Amino acid sequence: MKKLFLILVAIGFSITTYAQQTVSGTVLEEGTDIPLLGVSVLVKGTSSGASTDFDGNYSISDVDNDATLVFSYLGYKTQEVLVAGQSTINVSLETDAQGLDEVVVTALNIQRDKESLGYSISQVSSEEVNVARENNVMNSLSGKVSGLQITQSNTGVDGSSRVLLRGITTISGSNRPLVVVDGIPISNGSGGAGGGGGIDRGDALSDINPDDVASISVLKGAGAAAAYGSLGMNGVILVTTKSGAKKDGVGISLNSSFSFTDVALTPDFQNEYGSGAFGDFAPINADGRPVLDYPFSWSWGPKMEGQTYTNWLGQQDTFSPNPKKNPYKEFYQTGFTMSNTVAFEGRSDKGSFRLAITDEDGQGIVRNNTLAKQTFSIRGTTKLSDKFSVDGKMTYLTSKVRNRPQLAEGSGNTALQLSLMPRDIRLEDVANNTINASGEEIKWNLDNTFNNPYWALENAGNLDEKDRFQGFLSANWDLGSKFNITAKSGMDYIVYDFTNWGATGARAISNGLGSYSHDSGKSRIWNSDILATYSTNISDFKITTSVGSTYRNEFNSSRNIWGNDAKVDDFYRISNYKNSFSNENVSKKGIYSFYALGQFSYGGYLYFDATIRNDNSSALPKANNSYWYHSENMSVLFSKMLGISSNILSQGKLRGSFAKVGNDTSPYRTQAVYNVDQTVTLPYTVASISGSLPSFDLKPETSESWEVGADLGFLNNRIQLDFTYYETNTTDQIMAVPISGTTAYSSKVINAGKIQNKGYEAQLNLVPIDSDDFTWDLGLNFTKSNSKVISLNEGLERISLGSLWTASVEARPGQEFGTIYGNDFLRDNFGRKIIGNDGLAKRGDRIALGNINPDWYGGISSKFRYKNISLSSLISIQQGGEYYSYGRGYRMFFGTDERSLVGRESGIVENGINEFTGFENDVAASAFLKQFTDIFANEVATDLIMDASNVKLREVALTYDFPQTMLRGSFIQSASLSAVGRNLFFLYNAAGDIDPEATYSSGPTSTAFEHSSLPSTRSYGVNLKINF
Amino acid sequence: MKNINNIIKNTVVIAVIGMLFISCEKHLEDLYDNPNAVTTIDDSALFTKAVRSLFQGTTDNGSSHFAGMHAHYYVAGSTWRAPDQYGDGHDGDYNSILNGGYSGTIRHIEEVLQLTTTEGTQNNVRNAMANVIAVLGYAKITDAFGDVPYTEGGKGKSEDILQPKYDTQESIYKDLISRLTNSISILKSADPALGYPDSDPIFNNDLDKWVRFANSVRLRLAMRLRFADSALSQSTVTQCLSNPLMEGPEHDAFMIETEGTGNAWFTRRTGFPSIKMSTMLIDQLQGTADPRLSVFVSEDGNGQYSGMVNGLTDVAFGGSDFANKSDMGLALSSSDSKLYMITAAETWLLRAEAVLAYDNDPVAANAMFRMGIETSLEQWEVDPADIATFLASPAASLAGINDEEQIGTQMWLALTPNYFESWTHIRRTGYPAIPVRTAPELHQGVTNGIMPSRFLYSSFELGSNSANAQEAISRQGANKIDTPVWWDKN
Repeated sequence: MKKLFLILVAIGFSITTYAQQTVSGTVLEEGTDIPLLGVSVLVKGTSSGASTDFDGNYSISDVDNDATLVFSYLGYKTQEVLVAGQSTINVSLETDAQGLDEVVVTALNIQRDKESLGYSISQVSSEEVNVARENNVMNSLSGKVSGLQITQSNTGVDGSSRVLLRGITTISGSNRPLVVVDGIPISNGSGGAGGGGGIDRGDALSDINPDDVASISVLKGAGAAAAYGSLGMNGVILVTTKSGAKKDGVGISLNSSFSFTDVALTPDFQNEYGSGAFGDFAPINADGRPVLDYPFSWSWGPKMEGQTYTNWLGQQDTFSPNPKKNPYKEFYQTGFTMSNTVAFEGRSDKGSFRLAITDEDGQGIVRNNTLAKQTFSIRGTTKLSDKFSVDGKMTYLTSKVRNRPQLAEGSGNTALQLSLMPRDIRLEDVANNTINASGEEIKWNLDNTFNNPYWALENAGNLDEKDRFQGFLSANWDLGSKFNITAKSGMDYIVYDFTNWGATGARAISNGLGSYSHDSGKSRIWNSDILATYSTNISDFKITTSVGSTYRNEFNSSRNIWGNDAKVDDFYRISNYKNSFSNENVSKKGIYSFYALGQFSYGGYLYFDATIRNDNSSALPKANNSYWYHSENMSVLFSKMLGISSNILSQGKLRGSFAKVGNDTSPYRTQAVYNVDQTVTLPYTVASISGSLPSFDLKPETSESWEVGADLGFLNNRIQLDFTYYETNTTDQIMAVPISGTTAYSSKVINAGKIQNKGYEAQLNLVPIDSDDFTWDLGLNFTKSNSKVISLNEGLERISLGSLWTASVEARPGQEFGTIYGNDFLRDNFGRKIIGNDGLAKRGDRIALGNINPDWYGGISSKFRYKNISLSSLISIQQGGEYYSYGRGYRMFFGTDERSLVGRESGIVENGINEFTGFENDVAASAFLKQFTDIFANEVATDLIMDASNVKLREVALTYDFPQTMLRGSFIQSASLSAVGRNLFFLYNAAGDIDPEATYSSGPTSTAFEHSSLPSTRSYGVNLKINF
Repeated sequence: MKNINNIIKNTVVIAVIGMLFISCEKHLEDLYDNPNAVTTIDDSALFTKAVRSLFQGTTDNGSSHFAGMHAHYYVAGSTWRAPDQYGDGHDGDYNSILNGGYSGTIRHIEEVLQLTTTEGTQNNVRNAMANVIAVLGYAKITDAFGDVPYTEGGKGKSEDILQPKYDTQESIYKDLISRLTNSISILKSADPALGYPDSDPIFNNDLDKWVRFANSVRLRLAMRLRFADSALSQSTVTQCLSNPLMEGPEHDAFMIETEGTGNAWFTRRTGFPSIKMSTMLIDQLQGTADPRLSVFVSEDGNGQYSGMVNGLTDVAFGGSDFANKSDMGLALSSSDSKLYMITAAETWLLRAEAVLAYDNDPVAANAMFRMGIETSLEQWEVDPADIATFLASPAASLAGINDEEQIGTQMWLALTPNYFESWTHIRRTGYPAIPVRTAPELHQGVTNGIMPSRFLYSSFELGSNSANAQEAISRQGANKIDTPVWWDKN
């Protein structure tokens, strides 16, 4: 040992006999002179080198006089400098905007060169989300990223959105990607109402302030997300917020947006026939009002030709077409959204900070539906010593949404009421007649499940208040140049109060007694992790290895109180209700994880990553609560490896990835318990057993996925093509499978089922024109994704994933996931309808009528820039996919839809054969009876299946950057003004008058159903950005 | 030295992680238990749940939305009227009726039956009481559908049977009767302290009443077999008659719902859907000057009793002036209206039928028939003078010509508001006769105008318990609403 040491010393000494010296210097960014941290400075041909510190300084000892230093840094052009005896070498690195050398934020917030990644990742810049600003930042990603499907529901201001990355992989899971803000996974549930009504209380993603976003990375496959463990099974959306680190000195920036929202698409109404049935007026009741029950309260009465008749209020009136043709345009107003952000940012040699405040106010198309939201954000990083730095953030958000609209079959759904109201009723009469002398709601319809929409506006409502705190503290400790430890702890804490009330006097609301409810609760997700990283270079090999550990704690508690039978009118507190009820619930879950990551690269063209992770969850039985997974990613820059440097093929990369991910479940599914029923009057105790049977031997579910892809650049990267093929198989899925009710239970939690999800996605970016004054960027993306149910639990034929009226969306073995089933007409072997002697078709079998998944979807984005003016636009495209519109069905059998005009006078001769004679049917059935029988009595869904294909102009932004010459002398550094529009119009919509995105919830299969949705909206406005 | 430092640092990191691992394992165990519920409970709390579910079931979807209109008591307004047209497009309803039958009473009573036979919590008195409740729960399910899972039914938790086999209605009935016989013999000599002293929602643990209750239920089931298995029916009736039966309203099995908004008919009368009483019921009560008219039916706006004709087509319904017809009587549709499971009046009328059928003794039958009527009137607190007047009227005595029909018609009235049981009674006896619908203003539905005989196995059941349900269909006959169940021979 001692000898070896001596030999080494001798060799070392002999080397130092060459002329050697210490070289030091500073590395800055060219143009801005910002010091660059972590620039690799290597002595060419050796393994010795250093990296720059926080101030851009480096120092290397024992450098040969004739050596060459190589300065390389992600996102910058590599520079080589001959030492030639200099002891100080200062370098300015030029940024490398070209193509594939993109730096992206990857899992665990590790910045990586995109070319080194073995999986597909897309990054979206802040301008793409904060110019044409959306309350829910996810909506801004729609159509921009391949593999990402966003469906924005029509549920009022601050509604939720359905977010899917690469389609559906689990039968009963949320399938929503994990959202990570600055390294902290946040809560991310879907929202929405059920088919029977309710409201959409939004999702957690609408709380991400677009103005604070620096960039968004979309990690699509499990390979990219494996470092997040089970949470990342559905992909990850990484949001990095602004930290102020890019700004030199101190600056102030302003971002102001104002936009109008108005009604863009409404159903087509007929305006020829008014209330009544079978072409006649309704009989008149003893009270002088017509019979307001079905079918007379439908629009199947006489033609409106100016006759005198008794209207719904019992007054003599003229029966004539509605002068205002469309009740939606009359009832709904133009809403607005206004947002203002002021941010103070700065940096010094010791750190950086950003302080920002955003105020957002909005009003929806329903006049009492408003949003007020304020976000405060503080972010700071500081360097306590050369080796130790801390970074922290606190974001506080408070939001108040008033009167989230009732949806679907809810009695207060204004769209349902308006769309079914007999066509002779004038809306101003409805508005002026809401309450009678005895304080009861006046309606046009006896059906006590409906409200008068104007009564509901004044007398029923809700208030949704939320305070949300997100913050983290992280410390980074460099132990020498190769070893580094980062520790981080962060939380997402939400407190909410939701009150909902209805006045007395409306039969739809607790039989006229009035009702009140108040839900309050809090939820907290706390993540703490520590990661130790060691990196080293061995000749042409670069190796980085990390080990880490995370503890995640989820806590939720909620309390609900509700009551009915008000003592005093218009007073909404629980003490005012004669009957009151309450409920409380607590849920806790903990997961701790250990993981190791390794990255190996060779020669700058061969990259290999591997991840291994172990999770331990309290939601699984003790015997199965620990589970492992891993991922391997590989990337080859074959153009660099083979030394190809032609102008035609400028960059070429092949990549591949494999990952195996496990997943746990929600807490308390593995224990049999008795619930103690809340009773008020009973002298004895009542306990009940939940309908969902637990599983005592639940194991984690498993998802295995792989992907291969290529990133190619042509003509100096003016043409770039990314292509990925992926496949995911998810097995042992944890789900509460619906079981036969004859077991006395409704579901059992088991591991079962297999789903295969595969598809391909492509992104093509073109720069057709690139000159100093004029550039044109064109981006096209395309995704095709299919999920197939390979198997369910043995003996189980299907799982219903949701239903509306009699249509359901189901998983059946061998079928595509999300197939819509419903009753068809009775048909013969040739598919002809079998018609009765009354001329009406009959109900046939329940069959597959469509599927929610599009054949493919994509987007076209374009950005022209001429000098200081740029015009960007985005078109989204969906081909195929179906949904069931019960709203259309309702309007058809209520006779308000324009399509219900067919055969009003002559009847409808249904195509088909007579059930007895087999001859072509020639009996005309009344149009009313046909619609009612097909849709309501026979529950036939066939005619209500809509094609979801559409092409939509999603976004247009015209931006003017004020030229520096104009701003010179003022204290303004830069400014830009944009005119923006979102969701402007359909270029093509197969269903005509229904928006295929108009769902009432945002769960995985929510796009299967439309039910009298609020009209689709478009918004247009201006955005002003000023930096001081 | 630097290397040694690194080794120390690495060791510290690994040690810290190792400590974390150990403390976390303990922490996960702390988080495992559900804080919102309990893992053990006295079976009395589950017994009360099962009993309450059973009584609540008399106003459930099958009873109120289907049976009440099939048995021609009333007509619902709006879209709720659909089953009155004898259609079968009610898959969701059929599913909820089947599931509801098992998920309320059966789920909780099966747990009680298991706990009362498990070492440590064993109790044969409680078990006998629970068996009576289980019998009523299962009888209603099989009466509604025919063959249903019974021996394997309701055992999702206790035996992990997720796809239970169907049993024939015949075998179910035989077992139900023997369970009751067993319970009666235990309860006759049981110590009440072993029953449910503070947790009996029906009889406050009065075991004498429980014996009468169980025996009267046995009589009901025995008569159900009259046309399907006459021998068993007759021998069981004999057993019933040698044991105490319900004799007066004080023996009636009823419950008053005090939780929430009370009796479900209250909100149906005052809210959705509006309900109007039937022409058939009003004509019967009016035609015989039955004092129960004002109990079962409210006066319309003109102070008259005006009924709705059942089964109207949509066109005819539109012209029927539905809104102005008579509502359900307040005694049936107030928030504190009683929910009846079985009554003394029903028991007397069952005895009248039995005596007539098996003993061919019209005199004894008439006496019991009159007891049935009198008890029913007493049950509804009719003024004693009015009771005497009605008992003196021809309607209150068997005429010796249409005795079966008279008994059947009085049974129909006496069963009010137990509409489901009444529909079952009409299916079995054919009385009161529900005319076949032939008139053009009446809807013939899918049964050619004949009152439906059962509910369908839902598409969900056919999908989730496919092989067993298909086996039942192949045994019982097509899954249609006019396929009679086993005991339905009329």
